[in-house]
Amino acid sequence: MSLLKIDELEKSYTADKRILKDINFEIKAGEFVSIIGPSGAGKSTMLRCINRMVEFNDGKIIFNNHDVGSLNKKELRKLRTDIGMVFQHYNLVPRLTVIENVLHGRFGYKTTLQGLMGRYSEKEKEDAFRLLEKLGIHEHAYKRCDQLSGGQQQRVGICRALIQEPKLILCDEPIASLDPNSSKIIMDLLKSISKEMGITCLVNLHQVDVAQHYSDRIIGLNDGEIVFDGKGIELSVEQINKIYGTKAKDLITS
Amino acid sequence: MEATYIKRKKDGRINIKWGNKGDRVLRWTLVVLTILTVVSFLFFNYAGLELGSAIRETAYNLNVMFLEPALSHLDLGEAMYQVVVTLSLAFLATVIGAIIAFFLSLMAATNLAPVGVTRIVRVFVAIIRAVPTVLWVLIFAIAAGLGSEAAVLGMLFHSIAYLVKAFSEAFEEVDKGILEALRSIGADWWHIVKSGVLPSTFTYLLSWIFLRFEINFGVAVAMGAAAGAGGIGFDLFMASGFYFDMREVGFITYAILIVAFLLEVISTRLKKRYFPATTE
Ligand SMILES: Nc1ncnc2c1ncn2[C@@H]1O[C@H](COP(=O)(O)OP(=O)(O)O)[C@@H](O)[C@H]1O
Ligand SMILES: [Mg+2]
Repeated sequence: MSLLKIDELEKSYTADKRILKDINFEIKAGEFVSIIGPSGAGKSTMLRCINRMVEFNDGKIIFNNHDVGSLNKKELRKLRTDIGMVFQHYNLVPRLTVIENVLHGRFGYKTTLQGLMGRYSEKEKEDAFRLLEKLGIHEHAYKRCDQLSGGQQQRVGICRALIQEPKLILCDEPIASLDPNSSKIIMDLLKSISKEMGITCLVNLHQVDVAQHYSDRIIGLNDGEIVFDGKGIELSVEQINKIYGTKAKDLITS
Repeated sequence: MEATYIKRKKDGRINIKWGNKGDRVLRWTLVVLTILTVVSFLFFNYAGLELGSAIRETAYNLNVMFLEPALSHLDLGEAMYQVVVTLSLAFLATVIGAIIAFFLSLMAATNLAPVGVTRIVRVFVAIIRAVPTVLWVLIFAIAAGLGSEAAVLGMLFHSIAYLVKAFSEAFEEVDKGILEALRSIGADWWHIVKSGVLPSTFTYLLSWIFLRFEINFGVAVAMGAAAGAGGIGFDLFMASGFYFDMREVGFITYAILIVAFLLEVISTRLKKRYFPATTE
């Protein structure tokens, strides 16, 4: 069953440049899909069209049987509770504690007043601690986020996305600011989340080898166009060159 | 062969400032003002003035004021009470101002409000700031009569204008990734303000409020004298302009100085702690 279906998606920020050109793909529930491509290809933009952090110009996005483009403000908030997001720079509130940051993930379910009073149920708090424990950072629960390492902060970011009880998690370069060790921990975590909890993952990545190692499927983006869509093992050297342009080939061979 | 883009002064030394029109206008304005000041001294009416005795008497007055301070029309308790009254006027104007400024500055920050709204609030605030506090006090005095109400309202107005600018700039510094993350969760605007913006800016807001309190204390003293707002400023005015009691003027001045000094010490500490870059 398809969870996400994108049809003839078009996006441009300015009238003179098309950023996304006729994007079509479909993602099944539980799939782990990577999007690769050079910087500026439109990966971040594409991810943000899905939860309408960026408004697209044309085409259709169907998520979980909802037409994303036609939702009003209230319905959009509701939709966003179903879509978690993980960022390159973690985007936590640095002066708040780990547990507070995780509980922010519940805002989509709260009325204005509940959110302002910071009212969370005991179940929500227990869930938050369970997730922290699962990701191995429970002993930092009461520390301020700016005292944590990058890898630890990214794990908090993942907890914040998971407590939303999402159907889909969008990750925008989740390991681009991390060292190889932390990168592996984060990718392993994302993979196990998708396997054990059945949550669909759509991950923007820089590194081809990482994408090949972890994904069920890879989408290659170049200058706003999909130039590859298939399994990691099907990705040949020519296709990598097509995704990254000829310059990349020169860099590799020289 | 020398590159033509190097600008040199007339004597051939290399310029490191771009001598633009603004600089030149500023320089000429200063020159003209200096000349006018000197010239105007020559045209004063010095008929009744004997410089020798004027200097001597001023020195005597200052001597009495600052070396023999004493209270005669007030007792110490009353003087302290009046200092507290002045502090309260400043406190009231600052606290109410801070609360109103907080909500207005949310509407003045471009990352939190639509551009149209931010423009309106900013113009509104700029107009308030352009009019001096004393003038606001006099304007409110039309409705409220001269006194503490008009003084607090006037001080309040200026505090709001000052703090809206400071607060909204602090809000705009908030990492936009934080705002994006909260929006992507489905948080509404108030959630974002409470959980993203406030924790990130709280200490800045507090120190701005304190800085304004310090300013308001000085203004409150002046308002006591000029607008009959009461407090120690009014006693100062009575002592100097009504009783000609130099000793009491001296005493009150010392009292004000001590309070101002304490406020200054606290605010310097705050600045060092929260704005380390600006105190260097
Ligand atoms: N907010 C924006 N306004 C205008 N142009 C933008 C904006 N965001 C991204 N772009 C442009 O869109 C293109 C794709 O950017 P992005 O989606 O960030 O690519 P990627 O994530 O693949 O590096 C770039 O050329 C970038 O300059
Ligand atoms: Mg990007």
